[in-house]
Amino acid sequence: MSGSWPACLLIAYPPDWRDRYGDELETLVSDLREHGRSPVPMTFDLLRGAAAAWCRTRRGLLMSERSRQALTTVLWSWVAFAATAAWFGHDLGIYPTRSIARQIAATHQVVPDAYHVLIGVGVVGLAVTGIAAVPFALEAVRYARANGRKSVFAWMAVPLLTAGIWLGVVQFIGRTGSTAAMTGAVAWLLAGLAGIAWSTKAVVHIVRTCEFSTTTWRIGAAAATAVTAAMLVGTGATIVWGLAFRAGQGHSAGASGWLIVTAIMAVTTARAVLALLGARRPAPTPAPAPA
Amino acid sequence: MEFTEPAVLVLTSLADGPKHGYALAKDIEAFAGIKLGPGTLYGALSRLEDRGWIEALPAEDRRRPYQITSAGAEHLSAHLQTARHVAATGLRRLEPKVAT
Repeated sequence: MSGSWPACLLIAYPPDWRDRYGDELETLVSDLREHGRSPVPMTFDLLRGAAAAWCRTRRGLLMSERSRQALTTVLWSWVAFAATAAWFGHDLGIYPTRSIARQIAATHQVVPDAYHVLIGVGVVGLAVTGIAAVPFALEAVRYARANGRKSVFAWMAVPLLTAGIWLGVVQFIGRTGSTAAMTGAVAWLLAGLAGIAWSTKAVVHIVRTCEFSTTTWRIGAAAATAVTAAMLVGTGATIVWGLAFRAGQGHSAGASGWLIVTAIMAVTTARAVLALLGARRPAPTPAPAPA
Repeated sequence: MEFTEPAVLVLTSLADGPKHGYALAKDIEAFAGIKLGPGTLYGALSRLEDRGWIEALPAEDRRRPYQITSAGAEHLSAHLQTARHVAATGLRRLEPKVAT
């Protein structure tokens, strides 16, 4: 620290805050002193700033920024994982053909039942996500009302409207098996995936722009941990199932599909795990690279 | 984050280009007549950076400039429009009283 005595008061700031802004603040104090600013009001201002910085740290706002990033990463990872697992789970019953699937079930009963594991993972993940969404939604509404942010309500409507429109149109898609009906079904399935992505973006936008209490962040962190654990179980079951299936059959039919699915599941799960681990690091230091 | 006056002043100052701490203090003093203390100024800068409404640029001789982000500009614009509406309403309602 320099000889400018108000700068000595930087010691009163929280260590994390001082690591990030200490040098800059010290330089500003020196500049202001050189240009004739009185040290006495500056002293009071620095002490008040230090108290505010400690209060903010206690309220967990720094924690909430890390939680915000971790939560949005886990959410995107979970959505990608769930879409992949749903596709794979749907195909498991006929994997790689119905007859071989029945053969596996009959002759390899020790092979883990990946289908039911994935169903369980989906139920747990959706239930946890739905439960955690309630406090976030309530606080987002309160924040939007208090700050006059009507756009938050528009973003909140996106998932509901998307689900409603998608499910509504599904009722009218033909089940005749004709080429046109099949094309329409596939197109609407792709539209559904786009809707899921858009809805996730809406939720992420709300999480990133609204203020939430420490309790809500803790609920979010617990939900993210539970979802990530479920993803680990689902990925593990899919890997073990595929390896056992291959060992039992002695051929590589459908190997590329299983490998792609497993890779997506592993990558999304790893992203979620890394995000949660990153949120537990002691302190963020968002300093940019020096000139 | 609810807008506090220092945050509005900092965002308004950064609206016409990046500035470091001392340049911000001088600019705010020039356009608002308010002498922000260093603790108040950096308290606002840290809150605004946490929210992603400003971002730090590479330091120049221990002085790190900050610039407003698009999200920060959007929030400042919304806040100033509300403030303008409130000011216009207040002035309109005061007109008869001031005229008499």
